[in-house]
Amino acid sequence: MDARVDRLALPVGVIATLATLLVVFYYPVGSVLVGAVRVGGQLSLEPLGAVLGDPFYADRFGFTAYQALLSTVASVLVGLPGAYLLARFEFPGRRFLRSVTILPFVLPSIMVAVGFLAMFGRTGLFNDLLAVVGLGPVELTFTLEIIVLAHAFYNAPLVTRLVTAAWESVDARRVETARTLGASPLVAFRDVVVPQLLPALLTAAVLTFLFTFMSFPIVLALGGLEFATVEVWLFARVQNLALTEAATLGAIETALSLGLIYVYLRFEAMQLGAGGGSRSIDREPLLAGWRSLVDPRRLALLSYGGVVLVLFVGPLASLVVESVTTPEGQFTTDYYAFLLAQQASAATGTVQPVPAITNSLLFAAGALVLALPMGVVVSVVAARETRGSRIAEALLTAPLAVSGIVLGLGMLRTLVFGTELFGHRLTVTGPVAIVAAHAVAGYPFVTRTVTPALSAIDDRLVDAARSLGASRTTALLDVELPLIAAALVAGAAFAVAISIGEFDTTVLLAEGVDSATMPVALERYTGNRSLGPNLGPATAMGTVLLAVTTVSFVVIDRVGGRWER
Amino acid sequence: MRRRNFLTRTGAGLAGLTALSGCTGDGGDGTESASTESATDTEATESATEAGTTTGSVEELSGTLSVATYSSFVGDGAAGNWLKSEFESEHPEVTVEFETPENGLNQYIQRKSEGAPIDADLFVGLNTGELVRADEQLDETLFATASDRIDGADTVRSELQFDPDGRVVPYDTGYISLVYDEGEVDAPGTFDALLEPAYEDALIAQNAQQSDPGRAFLLWTIYNKDPDGYLDYWVGLVDNGVTILSDWEQAYNAYSDEEAPMVVSYSTDQVFYHGEGVDMSRHQVGFLNDQGYANPEGMAQFVDSDDAELAQAFASFALTAPAQREIATRNVQFPAVEGVDPGGDFGEYALEPPEPVTFTYDELSGNVSGWIDEWARQIASN
Repeated sequence: MDARVDRLALPVGVIATLATLLVVFYYPVGSVLVGAVRVGGQLSLEPLGAVLGDPFYADRFGFTAYQALLSTVASVLVGLPGAYLLARFEFPGRRFLRSVTILPFVLPSIMVAVGFLAMFGRTGLFNDLLAVVGLGPVELTFTLEIIVLAHAFYNAPLVTRLVTAAWESVDARRVETARTLGASPLVAFRDVVVPQLLPALLTAAVLTFLFTFMSFPIVLALGGLEFATVEVWLFARVQNLALTEAATLGAIETALSLGLIYVYLRFEAMQLGAGGGSRSIDREPLLAGWRSLVDPRRLALLSYGGVVLVLFVGPLASLVVESVTTPEGQFTTDYYAFLLAQQASAATGTVQPVPAITNSLLFAAGALVLALPMGVVVSVVAARETRGSRIAEALLTAPLAVSGIVLGLGMLRTLVFGTELFGHRLTVTGPVAIVAAHAVAGYPFVTRTVTPALSAIDDRLVDAARSLGASRTTALLDVELPLIAAALVAGAAFAVAISIGEFDTTVLLAEGVDSATMPVALERYTGNRSLGPNLGPATAMGTVLLAVTTVSFVVIDRVGGRWER
Repeated sequence: MRRRNFLTRTGAGLAGLTALSGCTGDGGDGTESASTESATDTEATESATEAGTTTGSVEELSGTLSVATYSSFVGDGAAGNWLKSEFESEHPEVTVEFETPENGLNQYIQRKSEGAPIDADLFVGLNTGELVRADEQLDETLFATASDRIDGADTVRSELQFDPDGRVVPYDTGYISLVYDEGEVDAPGTFDALLEPAYEDALIAQNAQQSDPGRAFLLWTIYNKDPDGYLDYWVGLVDNGVTILSDWEQAYNAYSDEEAPMVVSYSTDQVFYHGEGVDMSRHQVGFLNDQGYANPEGMAQFVDSDDAELAQAFASFALTAPAQREIATRNVQFPAVEGVDPGGDFGEYALEPPEPVTFTYDELSGNVSGWIDEWARQIASN
């Protein structure tokens, strides 16, 4: 490869990444957050003082952190056994199951809320099941418990996915070496496997905490006002155009989140050691004849399967059932006929399902193409052990730390309203802006999955390649990329999932209904009363979304799997 | 551009003369079009001929009208689309476009306060509280005082008029009421009854910070319990297990799922639900203290509109009897114009409260956001 390309590739990548971030992230967010320290053009600590000194807000932050902690614990508890199952056992449908673990990530919260109410509601399927075995009923709706469960629904798959990827890359030879040196299976697991899983587990836990700390639609949909988190309150402040207070809440949230990310990155950097080319541990068959019934591990996994059925399959299946059931409980195909009618309609303002599906897939593909290099560039920067690289990485991971509502408000004021530049008002909207925004939301996931894998690569491998005459870029493409392929595929799936599920910035940056995506269509159909006030049309669209994304993720994993070892 | 302006103005003048659309044509218009006519005499002849030959009638309006509204007002079969197609067929030179920003009126309040351009000419679908918010946020007005130039504005029922400055003209109204399952509970009848054990865990309401019916229900309680007493009343409601969800869709869905036997909704509920095989016992409308809280929706011309006349003509059109009937039926809200009867299913199943109540603009001004904040803090701290 040309030496000049080699020398320029990384700087150009960094600059392109920063430029994209500047336009669709830092500038919009900064324009809002500056409101927390500026009153009437003057620097002022008054807004911060007002919020920090208000016992009501102290309570809100306390409750928000508390529910995030509970949600994180629940997500880890539900997610870990899944990783164990997927990484250590072979069974029919394993690959499919691994592909669809990402599904909850793309579901619009309104659909999750509908599914959860149908599953865990007073007259829901769960209570029907309990009644069959003579238990219940339980009252879960609009409690803290159901919020935590819904958070686990969204985030346990994250734990499963990240830990599974780490588990699969544990070098079997090191476990075998430990065993030959006399370690019991348990000791070998503790000393060899656990240290390699811990970074992935912590990544997942920290991400879960961040997401649930800034959780908004789920709390809004399932909780009721008495469980309002800071983010819910921030939303209400924005609605009331109390923007200084909103900016202050957003700034405090961001500071706390960035601080957490920074501490975590420091920790992660200490944990990572050299890994390198390895052979995965062989999987055991899950079903081992009659012995399965007496093996405690397999029995535990069986009951775990029950939990998965109730918590994941239950709400999703309920959603599908709702899409073919009238409010009176009769079977109906009206809601799908509604989708067809929308498709056939030429009326102004009608969101058609097929273009919504196409847009979703196109935007996701675009976001993927942008997010993968962005994420890898940031990972390469992060993997360098230079002064300040942790701070740089924290700032480059900031999209995870900023409230979606603050970002939306910032985009509205800077990109949609336009910014005066050289006497012209520039606006940044439409499909390209949407793709860029989705990529910015998705690349931190690529980084989070790729960085540990990249850092674990034995530097000697790269050095060897370079001493044999490979350029830096060639070494990256031929040596490093194949070694991090599994992590890249995982990151790609996240980037696509984030893009497909994204609603707020999409609807903000869209110019009219032509750029509508599946979640936007779904939201529009919730407000459509042509079949009476019910969510039937939305659940039908939700089912379509579920089907389209299931297929997409299976394809991503299959295509990506070719590059994996 | 000049020609378009000219056509519009001449059109208004001619319409005034021939009274084609019932336009009375006020002094302002007359003077304007007269001066334009003398300035562009030749063009006048040209366009008059052109108009005469193309349609055989007097061309009055042309151009593109941009209407800002909420998203469910447009789409297949919605009131907005009916207005668009009828208005366009009456005025073949006019194109009506819709803008439906996610954050509704706030989008325009923020644009105005930050000096960003506003392309829309007319806003359709704002209520008293939103107008108060717009006025409190902005130093300059967002909307033009144009109701005296909108035909039919004086036929709107006086109790629905909510803008003392004559900017907003109501086009329909809903009445907030309870919807309940009479198989589960009796009609509560009064606000006080909602505090009784019979209604424990029985009511689902919406968050007044972001939901129209939620805000209207809160205001209704303030109307009855006074600004000094409503928080205590709500503490009582919370103690009795009221659930406050974020918006109407979620609340109604929870009600449909039988999470609770009562929900805050609209008195037009049965319009949706009558018919064969529908259990009407689940769709009973309950008025508290024999009242319903009126939540009129209005339209107003943006002060920055570059086609004010077109905006006013569209607003006038929305107040004609046929348009009022269509808006009522398609939006499932009551007409605003005196004496219009939508008939059909709407006439049969929409229930009007014995005593409609509502707060005026002046009563809400300076108060409403404080009332809502206090309320939300009270509920969240519980």
